[in-house]
Amino acid sequence: MGAAGSSILGADGEWGETSLGDMPESCVAAVLLYLDPPEICQVARLNRAFRGAASADCVWAAKLPANYRYLAALAAAADDEGRGDGDANGKRFSLAATKKEIYARLCQSTLFDAGGKEFWILKNKGGLCISISSKAMTITGIDDRRHWSHLATDESRFHSVAYLQQIWWLEVDGELEFCFPAGAYSLFFHLHLGRPYRRMGRRLCGTEHVHGWDVTPTQFQLTTSDEQQATSEYYLHLHEQGGWKLYHVGDFVVSNSDEPINLKFSMMQIDCTHTKGGLCVDSVFIYPKGYKPEKEGRAWCKR
Amino acid sequence: MAAAADSSGDGGTSSGEKTIVLVSSDNSARFEVREAAALLSQTVRRMIDEAGADASGDGITLPDVDAKTLAKVLEYCNKHAPASSSSSAAEAAPPAEGEEDLERFDREFVRVDMGTLYSLVTAASYLKIEGLLNLTCQTIADMIKGKTPEQIRKTLGITSEFTPEEEDEVRRENAWAF
Repeated sequence: MGAAGSSILGADGEWGETSLGDMPESCVAAVLLYLDPPEICQVARLNRAFRGAASADCVWAAKLPANYRYLAALAAAADDEGRGDGDANGKRFSLAATKKEIYARLCQSTLFDAGGKEFWILKNKGGLCISISSKAMTITGIDDRRHWSHLATDESRFHSVAYLQQIWWLEVDGELEFCFPAGAYSLFFHLHLGRPYRRMGRRLCGTEHVHGWDVTPTQFQLTTSDEQQATSEYYLHLHEQGGWKLYHVGDFVVSNSDEPINLKFSMMQIDCTHTKGGLCVDSVFIYPKGYKPEKEGRAWCKR
Repeated sequence: MAAAADSSGDGGTSSGEKTIVLVSSDNSARFEVREAAALLSQTVRRMIDEAGADASGDGITLPDVDAKTLAKVLEYCNKHAPASSSSSAAEAAPPAEGEEDLERFDREFVRVDMGTLYSLVTAASYLKIEGLLNLTCQTIADMIKGKTPEQIRKTLGITSEFTPEEEDEVRRENAWAF
């Protein structure tokens, strides 16, 4: 069968009498399963079949995290309380939403545990991310103003970081209970040596209190309720550009998307032969293993 | 074109294995294939179950698949069919050919013009042949990845029937992803 029929001029090859533009919506949906969410949203404007398929539940069900019902319930609860971000049109997110709407909502962050923690999924593949504020962690001596203070800053997702002036015993402990979609995750402490501040529109970094980090390393630890464990240690030091750094504590694996896992993580520098100080503790981040955040919005300082 | 075309070339019936006759939509072609190959199609499987044991005598007519497409589809099925159609649990029922050989075959198989690709994906969807549907969908998806909508339109031959209002609506519906 030659292609001599009503073929349209095209850049690649001959199309014969029908082209892929004539694919029924069900076929397009089958193709979209092989694309990532941002690509799916991009091809929605090709034609009506693509637009319909790009909103089909059967496509988005495959993109949502395995435990999306659990995550969506948290989002709906947060929106009800008026604490979470509703969607752009100001509509309250409800569990009656389409799978695509659920995916879109989960890409926006949701606060939980009295606003001290938040989660979101990554647009490109739906990987789950969590951030735990310094305010949700137990910091030894946090109430003693000789040692610790809270700095308001837009460089933190939570708009506030804990700043250490000077202490002998540095210990920051945190805990999280959550249902993770099955997979591997990495946990980090988000830290900054030096005190960021602004003067005349410029971002500066006060290093007057920075000391004691090069004597012995700072220890980081992570344990899970199913007995996984990871430790690491680093000598903290000033960045040339005075920026935030993610200190990798370790990784953990979740095998069951429906079972909550309990994580305990800590950062310690308790060598009491010397004091240490000049440290900002923003938060703990949990990312899908292998994900490298670039300048991640407000949490990264402008250079 | 009324030839019996079993393109595996090893004479399916001579091994004593059951064969099935599939007929294209325009009744112009009849293909006799090994049962194992034909059953890769869930649709054919269902038609046989519903029609009973004597259905394959007359041949099974596939109203939505023309002769040229059916020939190509059966080329795929013959290559990917398990060595034996027995569905005993003892056999993992792997295809008779090696893994690498199949991958090479698949790559060549989808080097076709857009019209044929269109016929293959719609046939695979109608016939419910999982492997072929995955292969054709992945091929089309690879043509889409990394391209702007304008480039995709040219490559796949898609014209938009949207009004400017519809275009705006679609843009708004999907803005969250960018």
